[in-house]
Amino acid sequence: MNFKNFLSSSFLIKSVFIGSLVILIFISSVSYKHTLVITDLAELVTHSYEVRIELEQLNSRLTDAESAKQGYMLSKDSIFFKAFNNAHAKVNKSFFKLNQLAANNLRQQNNLDSLYGLINFRFENLSDSFKETPDTSHQAITLKKNLRDGKKLMDKIHIQIQNMINLEIIYLHERQKKYENEISFTPIFTFLVFLFSLIVFVFSYFKINENLFILKKANKQLIITTESFKQAEEIANISSWYWDLELNLLVYSDNLYRLLGCEPQSFKPSIKKFLEFVHPSDIHLIIQGDEEVVNDNKPPTAIFRVIRKDGELRYFKSIGKVLIDKNGKKTLIGINSDVTEQYLSNVSLEERNQELERTNKELASFNHVASHDLQEPLRKIQTFISRIAEKEVLNMSETGKDYFSRIHTAVDRMRILINDLLLFSSTNKIEKIFEPTDFNVLLENVQQELAQAIEDKNAVIEAGNLPTLNVIPFQIQQLFTNLIGNSLKYSKPNVVPVVKIRSELIIAKDYPILKMDTTKKYYKISFTDNGLGFEQEYAENIFILFRRLHHVKEYPGTGIGLSICKKIVENHAGFIEAEGNLGIGSTFTVFFPA
Amino acid sequence: MKIYIKYNLKAACEKILQEQLDRLDLKYSLIGFGEVELKEVLSSEKLQELNTKLNNYSIEIVESHKSVLVQKIKNAIIEMVYMDEKLPNSKMSFYLAEKIGHSYGYISNLFTEVTYTSIAHFIALQKNERAKQLIITNQFTFTEIAWKLNYSSVAHFSNHFKDATGITPTAFQRIMKKRLDIPKK
Amino acid sequence: MQNERIHILLAEDDEDDRLFFSDAFEEIKIKTIIKMVNDGVELMNYLSQPDIVLPNILFLDLNMPRKTGIDCLKEIKEIDRFKDMAIAIYSTSSSEEDIEETFVKGANVYIKKPSDFSALKKILSEVITINFQYQTSGLNRDNFILNL
Repeated sequence: MNFKNFLSSSFLIKSVFIGSLVILIFISSVSYKHTLVITDLAELVTHSYEVRIELEQLNSRLTDAESAKQGYMLSKDSIFFKAFNNAHAKVNKSFFKLNQLAANNLRQQNNLDSLYGLINFRFENLSDSFKETPDTSHQAITLKKNLRDGKKLMDKIHIQIQNMINLEIIYLHERQKKYENEISFTPIFTFLVFLFSLIVFVFSYFKINENLFILKKANKQLIITTESFKQAEEIANISSWYWDLELNLLVYSDNLYRLLGCEPQSFKPSIKKFLEFVHPSDIHLIIQGDEEVVNDNKPPTAIFRVIRKDGELRYFKSIGKVLIDKNGKKTLIGINSDVTEQYLSNVSLEERNQELERTNKELASFNHVASHDLQEPLRKIQTFISRIAEKEVLNMSETGKDYFSRIHTAVDRMRILINDLLLFSSTNKIEKIFEPTDFNVLLENVQQELAQAIEDKNAVIEAGNLPTLNVIPFQIQQLFTNLIGNSLKYSKPNVVPVVKIRSELIIAKDYPILKMDTTKKYYKISFTDNGLGFEQEYAENIFILFRRLHHVKEYPGTGIGLSICKKIVENHAGFIEAEGNLGIGSTFTVFFPA
Repeated sequence: MKIYIKYNLKAACEKILQEQLDRLDLKYSLIGFGEVELKEVLSSEKLQELNTKLNNYSIEIVESHKSVLVQKIKNAIIEMVYMDEKLPNSKMSFYLAEKIGHSYGYISNLFTEVTYTSIAHFIALQKNERAKQLIITNQFTFTEIAWKLNYSSVAHFSNHFKDATGITPTAFQRIMKKRLDIPKK
Repeated sequence: MQNERIHILLAEDDEDDRLFFSDAFEEIKIKTIIKMVNDGVELMNYLSQPDIVLPNILFLDLNMPRKTGIDCLKEIKEIDRFKDMAIAIYSTSSSEEDIEETFVKGANVYIKKPSDFSALKKILSEVITINFQYQTSGLNRDNFILNL
């Protein structure tokens, strides 16, 4: 598990936690609000009951007052008058209370107001009846009327009260129904909160468990890696260190001690201590490197010499990197490796390279020597020979003449050899300028170049369409000249020489000579003649420098022409092969990368 | 800047000759190319004077009969090589013999004796010179030049050119172009 | 031509080559006056003298100590007084680059020193003859290019 995954998992946990928290708070607040609603409803129900009770009490007190009055009228006993007053006070009290209870209910308030009017009216009536003298005759009539009116009023009052009670009953029913509704949701909410909490807990448990497992695994991996890194350090002769620039804390890996020839952690790492091991004349490299790190954040890279505890001189390579964290704290980490073997082999390689370069230059100057300085005396020898041949040879003895003609032949051969050698080395020239070249044009040039030979031998050159490739033009022209020239030179006497030139695009794996099992494309250009041919067993040899199949006297030459061809083809990353059939002809095939 | 001009050698020479002869108040008539008939016999001083004047234009009075004849041959060849369109197909030897009025064997020997070179060589030289002029103008392809100069093919022309100058027509053209690119001081 | 002698100047540091050169001209039928200098510096000194007869043709060795043939060629081409003087490079090198470079720089003839005396005679006489033609037969000297 990598660091990035780990990061994202911890992020997931955080977001799940916050999400759960938000949801829990939401659900809780909803339940809280719900409970508040229920409480309110319960209060309202109680209120309804209270109103009802009070109304009924009012009713009964009114009845009390009525019966007191009736009692008084019958008995004229003052005890009834007292009871009446008592009931009146209680009615007023009830009214006061009802007034309070109905404060928030406009409808009941209105009802109460009209009730109040009715009751007040009644009490006035009643009070009046106590003041009247009961012994007059017409009083009986009045009493009768009074009683009837009182009865009517009382009925009205009772109806009014009953109405109000009925209204409260309706209220009560409504509120009770609402209350029941609300209270039925409560367990659902509670269950939801519980369920959700459970889910969160379970999820958290599994996630934490999983992370713990991953952490354990990573920890184990880390231990293995550290261990194997330690091993690797030992095997590869490398060591690591880090340097906390803030705390100036330097830590070396065990192998750094070993590379210095010490026991691991045998001394406290410090720059000063390290410099004691560094070769005195290389100390400046380290100091300079450290300064660059501190000032320019340029990581130190240096190769320096170290004298180990046992006195052995080793070459160290130090590569470092500056790490800067978010707070701008700098830590330097690096690797010191013992590169003694590589360094020494590099040095010897470099020396050999330089030697090679020198040799190459010498070779180039040999080219110059051969072209000028060596030719100069040779030319003079030849010129003097020609002068002697012209004037003095007649005066020589027969032996002298013979020797002289042998000198002549030898010098001429030397001239040819030098010229051919020059040609060969010139195909080796360092500057190779490749340009897209039409082989058809090159062939035309070659035919012009060989015009004399072609005419002399009456030869026929048959060429198919040739490609245009990126080549060194004069070298390819040389190649064509040599190949066609060879065909003309080794033609059969009395047979018209025919050279057929064919070109085709081929795939590498179809031709074993290309030694490639790929679909890389090559142009195959073949030169087939009807000349003397050669035995197939010599097919390889003919490309070797100075190797000849014929005696110099039969066919003059130096055996350099085909070597040049091979070299030219190789210069173009191509291949050349020869196929001979003695007495029938030969085919030279060249392959150029398409 | 370089300009290419085409000139009529004969007309230019005649013009110069006429001017110089008129200046010395001589009576004369021009007979063909490179031959002047004077109506009077000149003193050697007068002849010397005329010669000096003409020398300024690289024209000289050739005295001996042989020299006169050689000059005639040369003139005939140049005239022919520089004909406008195309060299005549007729054989050179017949053409010259007819033009000069002597047998080809005679004029050929005479030419070599005086100039140390052969008529054929001289013709080749002049043909090459013409070829060079045509190449420099950059107006003609080698095929056209080969045709104008009566060569059977470009290859034939190229070979001839190379035999005479040691370089191919292409190389010649290249060298001349490069020479133009070198700033003159 | 049969009356006047041809003036020839040779700049060549090699003694043997000067010998071949003078021997060859001795054997050629053409009447010549030969002047020889031993190197480039000597050549330029000689040419800078105002009272000398300028040569019809200068043979110039490329590979000379002190001042090379190419250096001399460049200097000569910059001086108007020498414009009628044909320049023949006389060198051991047969490299195409050398040849083309000298032609471009204004040489008229490039001679690769032959290794046969009669070839030398033939070449020298050819150069002199053709040069003579260029001087006498209305040929344009700018077009005089000969590679032997």
